[in-house]
Amino acid sequence: MRKTLSFLFSLWKTNLLSAMEYRVAFLLQVFGMMLNNAFYFLFWVIFFDRFEQVNGWALEDMFMLFGVVAVAFGAGTYLFGNALHLAGIIANGELDYYLSLPKPVLLHMLASRSVASSAGDFLYGLFSFVVAIVVTGEFSTGMLARYLLACVAAMAVVVGFLVLVQSLAFWIGNASLLTGNAVNAIITFSLYPITLFDGTAKLLLFTVIPAAFVGALPAQFVRTFDWASLGQLLLGAIVFLGLAIVVFYRGLRRYESGSAIQVRM
Amino acid sequence: MRVELTRPAAKYWAILRTQLQNSFAYPLDLLARSVTILLFLWVFVNLWRVTYGAMGSQRIAGLSLADTMWYLLMAEAVMLSKRDLSKDISDQVKDGSVAYLLNKPFNFILYHFAAGLGDSLLVFATNLLLGGALVWWLVGPPPGVLGWAAAVLAALLALLLDFCISALIGLAAFIAEEVSAFRWIYQKFLLVLGGLLIPLDFFPEWLQNVSRALPFAWIVYGPARLFVDPSAARLADVLLHQMGWLVGTGLAVALFYRWVVGQLTINGG
Repeated sequence: MRKTLSFLFSLWKTNLLSAMEYRVAFLLQVFGMMLNNAFYFLFWVIFFDRFEQVNGWALEDMFMLFGVVAVAFGAGTYLFGNALHLAGIIANGELDYYLSLPKPVLLHMLASRSVASSAGDFLYGLFSFVVAIVVTGEFSTGMLARYLLACVAAMAVVVGFLVLVQSLAFWIGNASLLTGNAVNAIITFSLYPITLFDGTAKLLLFTVIPAAFVGALPAQFVRTFDWASLGQLLLGAIVFLGLAIVVFYRGLRRYESGSAIQVRM
Repeated sequence: MRVELTRPAAKYWAILRTQLQNSFAYPLDLLARSVTILLFLWVFVNLWRVTYGAMGSQRIAGLSLADTMWYLLMAEAVMLSKRDLSKDISDQVKDGSVAYLLNKPFNFILYHFAAGLGDSLLVFATNLLLGGALVWWLVGPPPGVLGWAAAVLAALLALLLDFCISALIGLAAFIAEEVSAFRWIYQKFLLVLGGLLIPLDFFPEWLQNVSRALPFAWIVYGPARLFVDPSAARLADVLLHQMGWLVGTGLAVALFYRWVVGQLTINGG
């Protein structure tokens, strides 16, 4: 376990150092993404300015929601950046490189890339969380601990879901469009108040597109502790990560490559 | 296929047609691209049903729930059909393939425009068809023929205007190389100030005035609002704004293109 963690830290350090080689481009992407998220959030500012509440949700709830989703998505795709590119890696036979090395294939492959703009998502999420605290005036160390736990659980669901969907490339070949739609779906649904959706839709958001585990549920858990929410959060994280690992390694048995020569720099 | 390459329009027509045929060749890809519009429209119908319910009124700023949904259909159809030319151009600058396109017997900018339009047209039609079926099922029948005609005309000009702004962002890659941040922010301007997520009519008055003074509203809001209210006055207003912005941005693209190509150095290879 310690060896694996140390390996992961080495990979993340290498990713950061290589990003620092193109410092201006990296910073442009980070701050660009923060601005991008802020402009997107303007929609909710305008919306709640006009309508005040939607089924019990107000602007401060949206700050908290963005605080969780952006941190979870940002951390997940920064630390495990290849989760966004897995389908292409499988389809192009680029898993060969990881298979030939004595490290856990999935973990090694996922952590081998850090998406620069995801660091912007992460920072924006922290900013949104701070704004939520300022606006509501609610803060405690317990809340901070719940926030950290909720973000880690939501991150596990994001990464698990991305790996799960993209592993379909082992069976169907080119899964890039499916992947694009799945990523769109989980981001879109996680950034809307869950009270907009009725029973059937809610069931879908806890299963097929697990956006509720990424947005509404962790955000609610941060604001108020209850054992049921904690149980659901942990269960969601374990189930989606577990499923992702099982499906990926099942698919890996079917993996074939064309022995293409690949150069990694 | 016989193409008379000496006639400039024929060259670009051939590029547009080739791209169109390419889209027809992959019907499943086309359908998969249109899944996104169904997803967004389904979220929107939930959001606006709840909002109209909470307000307890049939109309908000003159728009009924059905009007709002048909507005959002047209807005999303334009937004999800347009080709992201700024990414195409900046990718070509970054990977060096721009060198191979610049020495071809066509204008680099017009080539991208023809290819982009060819790619967008079929996606636009599919988005309207699939999204329209969903909206019809959820909130009732679409606006009349006049609305369709006016909105489609304005949508074509909107694609052109978007192309000019995207080209400016893409060409910036000749100087800044990494233009993703500009692209994202432009998209978010379209989302919010363009009226993609919420009709401008729901904005406070000062923000409506600011949005109307910027080009983004004439790419999204203009065609979408015309769709649900195709009056002659609105048509004239939308077209005039679009033409004005097209002249301005088109001129900027031509000048900027001439300048960046003049600065470009290509080293063999």
